[in-house]
Amino acid sequence: MSRGRWLTIGALVALMVAVLTGCASDAPLDTMEPKGTFSERIDGLFNTVMIVAAVVFVLVQGGILFLMARFRRRNDDDDSLPSQVHGNFALEIGWTILPAVILAVITVPTVAVLFELNEEPEGDFADCIVVNGQQWWWSFDYYVDDPDCGENEDGQQVRQPDIVTANELVVPSGTEIELVIRSRDVIHSFWIPALNGKRDAVPGRTANWLIQADEPGTYQGQCTEFCGLSHGLMRMQAKAVTAADYDAWKTAQMAPAETPAEGTSAAAGAELFAAQCARCHTVRDAELPTYDDVAADRADNPVLLVPGVAPDLTHFASREWFRGGVEELWLNGAPGEGQFNRVAVEEWLRNPTEVKAMAADPAEYPGSEVDLGRGMPDLNLSEAQIDELTDYLMGLE
Amino acid sequence: MAITEDRPLAIGTGSAATVTAPLGSFTRPSGNTGWKSWLTSVDHKRIGIMYGVGAMFFFLVGGIEALLIRLQLSVPDNNVLSENAYNQIFTMHGITMVFLVVMPMAAAFANYLLPLQIGARDVAFPRLNAFSFWCWLFGAIFVNSAWFLGGGADCGWFCYAPNSNPVFSPSNGVDFYAIGLQITGIASLVSAVNLIVTVLNLRAPGMTLMRMPVFTWMTLVTQVLLLFAIPVITVALFLLMFDRLFDSNFFNVDAGADPLLWEHLFWIFGHPEVYIMILPSFGIISETIPVFSRKPIFGYPFMVFSGIAIGFMGWGVWAHHMFASGIGPISVAAFSISTMFIAVPTGVKILNWLATMWGGKLRFTVSMMFSIGLVSMFTIGGLSGVTHAVAPSDTQQTDTYYIVAHFHYVLFGGALLGLFAGFYFWWPKMFGYFLSEKVGKIHFWLTLIGFNLTFGPMHILGLQGMSRRIPTYSDWQGFNFWNMVSTIGAFLIAISLLVFFFNIAASRKASKTMPNPGPDPWDARSLEWSIPSPTPEHNFDTVPEVKDFDDWWHRKYGENADGEIVRIANAEDIAQDGLGHPHLPAPSYWPIVLAAGLPFIGYGLIFSLWWCVPGAMMVIAAMFGWALEPPDDFELPDHGHDGDGDGDHAELEAGETAGELASGDAVENPEEAPVG
Repeated sequence: MSRGRWLTIGALVALMVAVLTGCASDAPLDTMEPKGTFSERIDGLFNTVMIVAAVVFVLVQGGILFLMARFRRRNDDDDSLPSQVHGNFALEIGWTILPAVILAVITVPTVAVLFELNEEPEGDFADCIVVNGQQWWWSFDYYVDDPDCGENEDGQQVRQPDIVTANELVVPSGTEIELVIRSRDVIHSFWIPALNGKRDAVPGRTANWLIQADEPGTYQGQCTEFCGLSHGLMRMQAKAVTAADYDAWKTAQMAPAETPAEGTSAAAGAELFAAQCARCHTVRDAELPTYDDVAADRADNPVLLVPGVAPDLTHFASREWFRGGVEELWLNGAPGEGQFNRVAVEEWLRNPTEVKAMAADPAEYPGSEVDLGRGMPDLNLSEAQIDELTDYLMGLE
Repeated sequence: MAITEDRPLAIGTGSAATVTAPLGSFTRPSGNTGWKSWLTSVDHKRIGIMYGVGAMFFFLVGGIEALLIRLQLSVPDNNVLSENAYNQIFTMHGITMVFLVVMPMAAAFANYLLPLQIGARDVAFPRLNAFSFWCWLFGAIFVNSAWFLGGGADCGWFCYAPNSNPVFSPSNGVDFYAIGLQITGIASLVSAVNLIVTVLNLRAPGMTLMRMPVFTWMTLVTQVLLLFAIPVITVALFLLMFDRLFDSNFFNVDAGADPLLWEHLFWIFGHPEVYIMILPSFGIISETIPVFSRKPIFGYPFMVFSGIAIGFMGWGVWAHHMFASGIGPISVAAFSISTMFIAVPTGVKILNWLATMWGGKLRFTVSMMFSIGLVSMFTIGGLSGVTHAVAPSDTQQTDTYYIVAHFHYVLFGGALLGLFAGFYFWWPKMFGYFLSEKVGKIHFWLTLIGFNLTFGPMHILGLQGMSRRIPTYSDWQGFNFWNMVSTIGAFLIAISLLVFFFNIAASRKASKTMPNPGPDPWDARSLEWSIPSPTPEHNFDTVPEVKDFDDWWHRKYGENADGEIVRIANAEDIAQDGLGHPHLPAPSYWPIVLAAGLPFIGYGLIFSLWWCVPGAMMVIAAMFGWALEPPDDFELPDHGHDGDGDGDHAELEAGETAGELASGDAVENPEEAPVG
């Protein structure tokens, strides 16, 4: 074999090694590292199809290389015509039927897995979790022990959720959970690749989608339907915990936020929050301990926007991530144990539109007649105010 | 009913004959030199070339947009582009590459080659053909003018409702999208009717459907697809336009609309659109591979019918773009299965191309290299396509870079490589000189390597979970390495394109001292190679009589006494000399005027309805001018006609008779009855 060929083969091997190491790199959204029963079924199906595809790939590309080498015009060609074959009916029928058969075989597990993924969830998970997509974050509404999601028999909403979180979906591990997916504005898509494929959140429609995590852990997610300006920064995390931890988490989350001690910086922050932030953000406290109270208060108070316009912050500091699931809230440790990411929170409060593109200011769209406010505007807070607010938020555990 | 007048003949037989011709309010332009003549030309070849030049220009525009995207994504947390700019750029990149590059480039080949391959002198409606081109060009300029008028569309080329609503996309970009694509849609629709009629009615005697070259067949299938697909997207865009400009509620969820309506409408158009883009290239390499293998295409009927099958099945797979939308498991299963089986006719094509090469004597010209490149790269795109058909696994892959990789392997590795194969193959026929093979090989290898470096890693990125349409990603997400590789590849593609332009310039310069490539430089098989290069304005001196599939090849090769197939004639000896002077349809002012009115109406709809007035006046005036235009310029001295009847210019104008009387030529082939 010539030196050139060895070099080619060497280069190909190097390329394959590079590709394989590339695949094995640490990518938290990797679709090929399933962590739950549904994603495992999809992965198994994908791997099967990939084997078939790899065989076809090698045959076709190998065939091309063979034909190029074998039938190239030689330098000493005598200019005679090669055999003028116009076709071979039997052969062509054969290679029409063969791929059809291969594909027909693939359809069997495809359809089987498809219907498995659409079955009713196994187990007795009694809570209802509603996933709401909106520009550009996720909220998760928990109706504890209420599979009807706060609706009566006629489908009318009769009660508010018990827990509302933002961008952090907490679920018990080992349990099949059917999420209820909705959108509050445009189409989004809910996707935790380690737990299942994606399902669109279509406004005006309700979708059911199963997830299940085998082991406790935090699994990354991303909105995958283009939804405007900050689509890329609309991420989320699914946090699977043991059943006992899940119950403890629910109890903690259902409790209203603690009021900071008088005279502290956090107390000043709380006052500032009520004045500046509460128009959009909710913190359930001693005055309004449940979301039903919050909703009643807002119905009486037209200055306040509807709940859901901005993330609920009642237990803000209990979350691992913030800012659309993009930034870690606690560094080097679990919430309450690690180091609070003060720098990032303060940077956010200083001017949110610098950190994340949002259509917060209607003035950005001159001539437009609609109020386009979406996302958090710059509140022109002083450094002292930012400090106080951060102290307050840090205490919302 | 035609308005007619009698007028004496200026030249002709010497008798005092008068002819009856429609009343002409304006004279038609004359002459075929100078840049002005291009504006009024109705010559299918010039229109084809203009489509090609226009598409190349927008290829540069779309390419720059692609480079900006890759620049932004080269490193994590990058901020070369703002989110807003990024959204506009990837949207416009998609729109540009689909509607302003691949489609018009395929239209360039269709316009130039279709009449030549069926032995016609022009398309059925030459003025409509010119109108199609200008309409496309003005639509394209209109869409891109958004950059200077508040920003391009920012909703993705698919522009899902309700994100396209002014509440969510307040700039005028989406209006430009909705109206601009309606204008280019008119171009596609008119062109589709024109080319379908051309194929059905203007074939040379003996050119039966099953003797047509595969490129002609694939173009016919493409035009039929366009004929049915364009109305669907037009309806969708029309509704969107009304929602945005006149406050209707077709896609307003608060008023009870279902956003899935848009998704269905868009993809019922959008999936056939994929085949509209790929089938012309399939046709091109079905011409080049036989020529450079010195064998006929393997299984011609299978090639034709698999193309038709793709065209039919292409209508039954659209919802595979919506597997995550929530259309229900039964629908998903049905579309999953139909999508799987559309791979069958595509697979047949690939195997037939390989079988064509089998046993041949392969000449690795640049054109052949691009053709084989298509077979190889498209196979990869086809296989990843099958993995999308597996609906459960598609829910992991959809809207990730795995999809981006897939459709670039189909559209770049498929459509564009095929179009480049076509450029190198037909360049001598179009312009009378070869593109340099040496530079062309550099172009090919740079393209192939750059392409695979750019889009190959996207498979990995997609499987690693990188979403589409995200302006940036975080360092910890593990996407850094392959994004950098991809960006490097994109710049290699850019360099390869510069090499291509250099090749054109250098080859053109070198051609001044080179001999003419002759009528048939590749020893090819179809009729366009039986006439001089570059193609004379009238195409054929005499309309050829077709006796066989690959008729031109059969005139060069025949059986000797031993039953062996040997060369029996030299191309130079039997090719037409291009010196005839048949009657040709005269140029016209009106197509460009009519098309130029449409953007004014568009601007009027967006900015101030008053602008619609001059636009509408132009359109109406041009329609009347068009209708009242005299059929030909009688004063033109060299006004010949070969007595070929309507066959060569089936605009069915009353001037036909005038032309025949005036020319006084003997009818050369009386048995050549007009096919139309």
